[in-house]
Amino acid sequence: MRRRSHPLVFFILVFAAGRVPAAGQTQNATLNASINGLARLSVSSAAISFPDADPDTVPNIQATPGPILLTAKARTSPNGAVTLTVQASDHLRSGINTIPASNITWVANGTGFSNGTLSAATAQIVAAWTGPGVHTGTQTFFFKNLWSYATGTYTLTMTYTLSAA
Amino acid sequence: MKKAVWSGAVAAAVLLLGSTPVFAQQTANAAVAVTASVNAKAKLSLGLAAVNFADADPDVVTVYTSAPIAVDVKARTTNGGNVTLTVLANGNLVSGATDFIAIGTLTWAASGSGFVATGANNQTTAQTLGLWSGSGNVSGSHTLSLPNLWSYNTGTYTVTLNYTLTAP
Repeated sequence: MRRRSHPLVFFILVFAAGRVPAAGQTQNATLNASINGLARLSVSSAAISFPDADPDTVPNIQATPGPILLTAKARTSPNGAVTLTVQASDHLRSGINTIPASNITWVANGTGFSNGTLSAATAQIVAAWTGPGVHTGTQTFFFKNLWSYATGTYTLTMTYTLSAA
Repeated sequence: MKKAVWSGAVAAAVLLLGSTPVFAQQTANAAVAVTASVNAKAKLSLGLAAVNFADADPDVVTVYTSAPIAVDVKARTTNGGNVTLTVLANGNLVSGATDFIAIGTLTWAASGSGFVATGANNQTTAQTLGLWSGSGNVSGSHTLSLPNLWSYNTGTYTVTLNYTLTAP
């Protein structure tokens, strides 16, 4: 009498042998792999600053410490839209004094990335892609330097959102 | 004897891997703090570095008048802070050791937002030529005038006017 092997053990043995046995028994093995949607975003710097400068000599101040490196990882359907946006929490604010967030602009590098202007009202597109993958790019920020600003230390927070549909 | 068909089972598993699952919207967030420093500054530029009044007959030219001096004022200050432009002479108009024309006779007319329309120079107290509130840049002109009197001793009279822009 032939002894019946457990299907999983037999499956492993088949692969270990590297060939199909000459004789055997038909069995089905079901492999389930769950691949769910996932989005992950990393930003190289948690803070940027624009140092004071003479508006006549530096009309647009570049942020320090330089370009921000953005890494977006997304797992989505083959044609799923993957979008990276940024929105300011408010205008630049120093006490009662404000400077429009739109006076901050950026120049982007990287596939799918685009240049833009910051907004406190609407999330602005930083990058867009189709399908799953890992994408990297940089943003270099500039601050429009005007004589009309009241003195102060102005702050806001930029929130990035990576969405994978 | 039955032949095993494991290759078919493996193919099915591969198909399962490649099938399209239903993806829910996924999001990830990150925050970056932004700081912009705006410090106090004042910048003043004058269109002319020197003004000359050519000699003239007092009966024909009763008042020497300069060409307008362009004045550009740029200031960064606190919200509502006073920005002040003053002018102070270093003395009377003098020629040699003893001859002079009183500096108070050298008057001005100014135009432009925030500029004091008329005034007279002074060697002891800085005179306000312009006054503004808050940050910004303005432009105006400053024209100097001196009466041309028969009473003046001959000579070449000079004075230096010092302009000072203050933004707290």
